[in-house]
Amino acid sequence: MFALIKIEWLKIKKYPAFWWMLGIVALTYPGTNSMAYVGYLKATTGKALSNNLAKMFLGNPFAFPDAWHSVAYFSSFFILLPSILVIMMVTNEYTFRTHRQNIIDGWSRSQYITSKLFDVLIISVIVTLVYVLAAAGFGVYADSSSVNRWTEGLQYIPLFLLQTFAQLTIAFLLGYLIKKAFIALGIFLFYYLIVENIAVTYARFKMNDIGRFLPFEMSDRLIPAPPFFSRMGKDAKEAYTRLIGLIPEHVVYTIVLTILIWIICYAIHKRRDL
Amino acid sequence: MQPVLTLNGICKSYGKIQALKNVAFEVPEGSVFGILGPNGSGKTTMLSIILDILKADAGSFAWFGQPGSPETRKQIGSLLETPNFYHYLSAVDNLNITHAISGRGSAADIDHVLEIVKLSERKRSRFSAYSLGMKQRLAIAAALLGDPQVLVFDEPTNGLDPVGIAEIRELIKELARRGKTIIMASHLLDEVEKVCTHVAILKKGTLLTAGPVDEVLTNEDIVELSCSNPIHLHDLLIGFPGHTHIKLEGNKVQLFFPIGTAPMEDINRYCFEKGITLNLLFAKKKSLETKFFELTND
Repeated sequence: MFALIKIEWLKIKKYPAFWWMLGIVALTYPGTNSMAYVGYLKATTGKALSNNLAKMFLGNPFAFPDAWHSVAYFSSFFILLPSILVIMMVTNEYTFRTHRQNIIDGWSRSQYITSKLFDVLIISVIVTLVYVLAAAGFGVYADSSSVNRWTEGLQYIPLFLLQTFAQLTIAFLLGYLIKKAFIALGIFLFYYLIVENIAVTYARFKMNDIGRFLPFEMSDRLIPAPPFFSRMGKDAKEAYTRLIGLIPEHVVYTIVLTILIWIICYAIHKRRDL
Repeated sequence: MQPVLTLNGICKSYGKIQALKNVAFEVPEGSVFGILGPNGSGKTTMLSIILDILKADAGSFAWFGQPGSPETRKQIGSLLETPNFYHYLSAVDNLNITHAISGRGSAADIDHVLEIVKLSERKRSRFSAYSLGMKQRLAIAAALLGDPQVLVFDEPTNGLDPVGIAEIRELIKELARRGKTIIMASHLLDEVEKVCTHVAILKKGTLLTAGPVDEVLTNEDIVELSCSNPIHLHDLLIGFPGHTHIKLEGNKVQLFFPIGTAPMEDINRYCFEKGITLNLLFAKKKSLETKFFELTND
């Protein structure tokens, strides 16, 4: 197992796109949250009634313990950045025909898929680390008086990791099946940004919310909107409470779907001509 | 002696096209085994199957008497179809991956094989910056890594200049002298004839013949003769007993006999007694090219 990770590292460590994408993720996650934080400061700083009302409604989403949840939620919008990297890494193997050479040189077909699983896992862990550092930074900076509450809400770290791994797994599946980077990226973006959002919104109002079983939405529900949304009224509070209650159920769905995708990849790779 | 590779009834189809039809042969240890065939005859498909890139529809194969597996592939240096490397990595980095996967060779071996294929000066350049010939050389270097006992080369001289082709031919001869088993697919009949001890000829997925080169090429004796008046010689030899047919090729006459029956001395005596002095008389081996066209032409 360690040998597979070592070989994948030999492939990745001098791949310029990997470092570029890592840099972009490292800037985007804190950057996006900073923009949200600045917006929060603008709304709440001042002595006007509206500022006080905003403060009352919002609380401080970037202070502990809400920082873990809020930063995870805002960061999760940008899953498409590491997804591009995952798709490029899997389609590169087809472009360079190294998916064949790895087998010729002595990997089994299942070792090849396992190595890709490690790639997705490694990228998920790196992205999660960036999120943890960003959330911790905001938590400390936004309100030093609540730092002692940093241990509350830590469950959002494994939830963020699971969500990232699950969604990158879908990106991997697309790259693995489609083989062409641009087509896979196009389909990924079109589905992720447009098709599923429309389907989920439609299902929410017309089809008893069955959209929550769609591939991305299934894991999107691991990290619902931060708590301040629940302070927008009775309905919002009920919706928030319901979504928080559904998280354990969605953990199970997400794990099942993710395992299923990898089983499909192993089964296809075992049989298909390379 | 245990064959290095045994194929039993290998069949493979792509939709309605049958790429390999019940192909079976053995590759003896220490042989240089040439696989010949026109484009689309199934050479690369066959090599892909024995390297687990393609799945056979039927039949089986064994390396060293064992069913094909990752462990057996690790013992084989292979170049299949095209040089397959990570474009953003250098020759050394790419060979490090080959080494890490196969377990063949070491850091010192990487330098050594790059020296053999004359890539030492460019070993830190990215693969994407290489010419076609350099890419092919790197693929050969990867196959040589760790000095494996068995090598599979699919069109090893693709993209090489004449000097490169001659170098690779010499390399293959040197490897053969050191007792390596080499399985080589090629269009270049001349190449195969110069280096191979055994040959298999494929056509549209069917194995036409396989065996030692001498056996495959020799199914009749050809005697080539010449004198100052070849037309007269031709007319005279029509009456010589035992030959199967006769041909006048330019200023040379070719007499064909069943294998092992060409009576060289009798021919010489016959001509002399008929008042013809020969200036050429020798037993000619059929060229691989002739044999190849004989077998593969419809």
